[in-house]
Amino acid sequence: MGQTALVGDTQPVLVTPEPVVTVRDICKRYRKQIAVEGVDLTIQPGEIYGLIGPDGAGKSSLMKAIAGVLTFDRGQLEVFGERIDSEAAAERVKGRIGFMPQGLGLNLYAELSVEENIDFFAALREVPPELLAERKHKLLTMTRLENFLDRPMKQLSGGMKQKLGLICTLIHEPKLVILDEPTTGVDPVSRRDFWAILADLLRERGITALVSTAYMDEAARFHRLSLIYAGRVLAEGEPDQIRQQAPGSLIEIKVEPQIEALRRLKVKFPQTEAVGAVIRVFVAVASTEQATEQVKAVLDGLAIDDIHGIETELEDAFVALLRQRHLADEQAAANPQIPVTTAAPTPIGGEIAIEAAGLSREFGDFRAVDNVSFKVMSGEIFGLLGANGAGKTTVIKMLTGILPPSGGSGQVAGANMHSASQAIKERIGYVSQAFSLYQDMTVLENIRLYARIYAVPRKQINQRTEWVIEMAGLAGVENRLAGKLSMGIRQRLALGCALVHRPQVLFLDEPTSGVDPIGRRRFWDILMQMARVEKVAILVTTHNMGEAEHCDHLALMHAGQIITDATPEQMKLSLQRDAGELLEIVTDQPLMALQIVEQAGFEGAALFGQRIHLLAKDPEQAGRQIAALLAQKQITLLGIHPRIPSIEDVFVYRIMAREQEARSR
Amino acid sequence: MNLHRIKAIIYKEWREILRDRLFLSLAFFVPVSMMLVFGYGIKMDVENIPFAVLDQDRSAMSRDYLHLFMDSRYFDYQGDVQNERELEPLLADSKIRFAIIVPPRFQENLLSGRPAPVQSLIDGTFPFRTATSKGYVIAINNAFNGKLLAGFISKKMGLSPEQAASLVQPVKLELRYLYNQELKSIWSIAPAMMMFILMMTPPFLTALGVVREKENGSIYNIYSSTVTRAEFLIGKLLPYLGISAVNVVILWFMAAQVFGAPFKGDPLFFFLASVVYDSCTTGIGLLVSLFANTQVAAMMITVVVTIIPSVLYSGLLVPIASMDAASQFEAHLFPAMYYTDIAIGSFLKGIGMEQLWGRAGALLLYTLVLWLVSYLLFHKRVRA
Repeated sequence: MGQTALVGDTQPVLVTPEPVVTVRDICKRYRKQIAVEGVDLTIQPGEIYGLIGPDGAGKSSLMKAIAGVLTFDRGQLEVFGERIDSEAAAERVKGRIGFMPQGLGLNLYAELSVEENIDFFAALREVPPELLAERKHKLLTMTRLENFLDRPMKQLSGGMKQKLGLICTLIHEPKLVILDEPTTGVDPVSRRDFWAILADLLRERGITALVSTAYMDEAARFHRLSLIYAGRVLAEGEPDQIRQQAPGSLIEIKVEPQIEALRRLKVKFPQTEAVGAVIRVFVAVASTEQATEQVKAVLDGLAIDDIHGIETELEDAFVALLRQRHLADEQAAANPQIPVTTAAPTPIGGEIAIEAAGLSREFGDFRAVDNVSFKVMSGEIFGLLGANGAGKTTVIKMLTGILPPSGGSGQVAGANMHSASQAIKERIGYVSQAFSLYQDMTVLENIRLYARIYAVPRKQINQRTEWVIEMAGLAGVENRLAGKLSMGIRQRLALGCALVHRPQVLFLDEPTSGVDPIGRRRFWDILMQMARVEKVAILVTTHNMGEAEHCDHLALMHAGQIITDATPEQMKLSLQRDAGELLEIVTDQPLMALQIVEQAGFEGAALFGQRIHLLAKDPEQAGRQIAALLAQKQITLLGIHPRIPSIEDVFVYRIMAREQEARSR
Repeated sequence: MNLHRIKAIIYKEWREILRDRLFLSLAFFVPVSMMLVFGYGIKMDVENIPFAVLDQDRSAMSRDYLHLFMDSRYFDYQGDVQNERELEPLLADSKIRFAIIVPPRFQENLLSGRPAPVQSLIDGTFPFRTATSKGYVIAINNAFNGKLLAGFISKKMGLSPEQAASLVQPVKLELRYLYNQELKSIWSIAPAMMMFILMMTPPFLTALGVVREKENGSIYNIYSSTVTRAEFLIGKLLPYLGISAVNVVILWFMAAQVFGAPFKGDPLFFFLASVVYDSCTTGIGLLVSLFANTQVAAMMITVVVTIIPSVLYSGLLVPIASMDAASQFEAHLFPAMYYTDIAIGSFLKGIGMEQLWGRAGALLLYTLVLWLVSYLLFHKRVRA
């Protein structure tokens, strides 16, 4: 499918067109650091091509090289048929390229207004005034920014900044847009908006797009993609093709006691993870029945509540591919062992470990946190989910006694937030966004330092240090400098340091952003262990919707407020109750089909790569209606089936509902 | 070269500067406050040296002798002490910098033709001031000796005191100070401060302005567009050059009006030469910005590369002519020296184009080289 142009409105183009970008064996290193090593890829006109990989995988370097703003050391690059081997050659294609670098709105000018920003980019690109007026109007309407023309860019929200960035990149109507992590840290509603706008433009102007992301769950948005890890391409192709490269089944189990099941499964199936109350096991067997039998055999004697197969995700394939190529070795060397415990783990519940009651915080006129209340039980993993700037960090800072609240109260580990902030600090562990490790000290020195800071009795320091090393899987790297560790290990060290004094409550602020999937899974293993066995109450913030599924309980934050507060399953159920089933439609002409479905008035219709998602109260009837509509326009319907909604679907629906409510008032 | 794109970049840059309060105050407030602080702070004049007196003779002649010091504008009489022990704490606390002790029988010794020793104690902690103070003490002492000798001769030979005085000093030195008749150090310092401030602030602003774009990534808008290198550099630098040109006028006004330094030269030549000097120092900032990746690094490098030449090799502290050969050579390598000559020449000496064209030419050459090197080093397809 990716081989044919998607521009044509009527008939698919049969001739294979010239590729827009051809990359052959490109290498790029910064001094000794290898960024890109032997990457090959081809981007066809009209497609949205994705680069997916964790931070530091080499995505940005590759994109900059293609945009002609970064040199490379070896290999061949052709853009629009032009060999890019010099600055002069790069200049020749820059007029047809739009490039948006990484960092939300960072390439825009904070002091300039929305319109001034657009005008500046237009002037740089010599857009004639008549065309500029027309395009500006169109793009502003599409992004719903037309009412904010005079607002300085620095006062825009994250999602608006990102849309403005997109307008500025598109104002000269490039033939190829290169967008570096445009959706990182943006709220899910803006993310959907963004993808919709991109798909629209693609449909209208035949623009080719190269987009990178660190979110595996965005893979479905791309026509084709490359999985990038440590400067190499792990797999290339359509999302489904990549999934098939690592065939297997994903089995979801509800079993008691969870921690014992986890321990057993880990031995046989390395790709086992606890997701909230369930366990997901990736079994490298295509048949779901066989896989289920294998899992059951391992769990013999435990009380299995429920066991069924679900669709595998790209992340499972990614991890499986990493394992196949032994790229996970470094991580595996420091594999944290789940220690065998004799004490029978008790279920969640019991006492309240964290309680926020009507917490508010103002910064000048700006209300960062607005009347936030929730409870976290001991042994529970509680997720505070929201976009950058939603107020998550401010909530944590207030609860940990770093920031005094403007209103409301809170209890942490049995101490009052107002009167006993010192007591709180002694009873909690806190891992901040930028892990507060001392880069020039070794792993051991860092742990010992934190033990002394938290006044661990002298006699226990050695024992606690050993415990941290074992628990966090740091054996073998004790004498390495913290600054020289990989992101994933550094993050486990930060976690270990925060746990050295046996806190009852653990706060984690965006702990896994930028960590690769394997590292992230290890990290969650440890959190699970701490919660289920050590009975630590864990409050974790994240803007990654996929990660949120690991939590026992979730609170969605938006613009300083908690929008909804429930377990992930309850959230999905209530979405299905309020808005209907999530349907996935596969057709041969997705862009046309989307237009038709939107015109027919279906709620939440959005394009995910080649598929369309929408919400329908009565799925049967909706299915029939859509089939009829598509048949009228001679579009072949390849499939239509219900899907389990994701947390992101929930978030988007809830925010939209709230905004609609606010508008109607 | 596309004028529309240059204009777009200038306009954008200018907007950003105007709306960023911190940056705007940095652009205008810092030069003015530097001028005030240094103008009032650096005093090279050694005057009003506080001193105390221990007169153990208490005679008419000892009072005559001491009055020569008390009446001098170079010394500031703080009072008499009763014995030597009292002097030490005063000197130690810097209450006085100089003390003079007239021993007993000062008058008696002099009248009977014997030498009369006088002890002077000078604070040696500031060698420059000490050397100057010593010069004053010797000069006053000589004057007293001369007066004594003249008195003796006039009495012995029956001459009038004037005739006697001319006999004692057969060679009479007539002193006239040129350019700075009153030897006011501020007259020389104010123009030199213009050199110093215009050496520091334009590179600061330029380096921060460019590196800021590198730091937050907006430089990629330039890299990835069809704007040429020259268009970007011109558009980016002109606003900063404009700010510096305004600062030339402000500092010029302050030097002349606030500090009273006379301006005797050609205003047009001085202004143009100053703008060339600004372009030159702006070029230094540009060059720095190509190597620095963070604003902090840009600031540090700018301080190092601008302060050292402008303080040590400009003639601000030590005249170039009194440096050793190697330092003189180094001084000629930095632009600061040429502009110091232009500023002092225009203010105090009243000279212009005819005498200073060579120095202005050196600055122009310097500017061209800096801009050209920056142009060649600036790339839109970078290595890292």
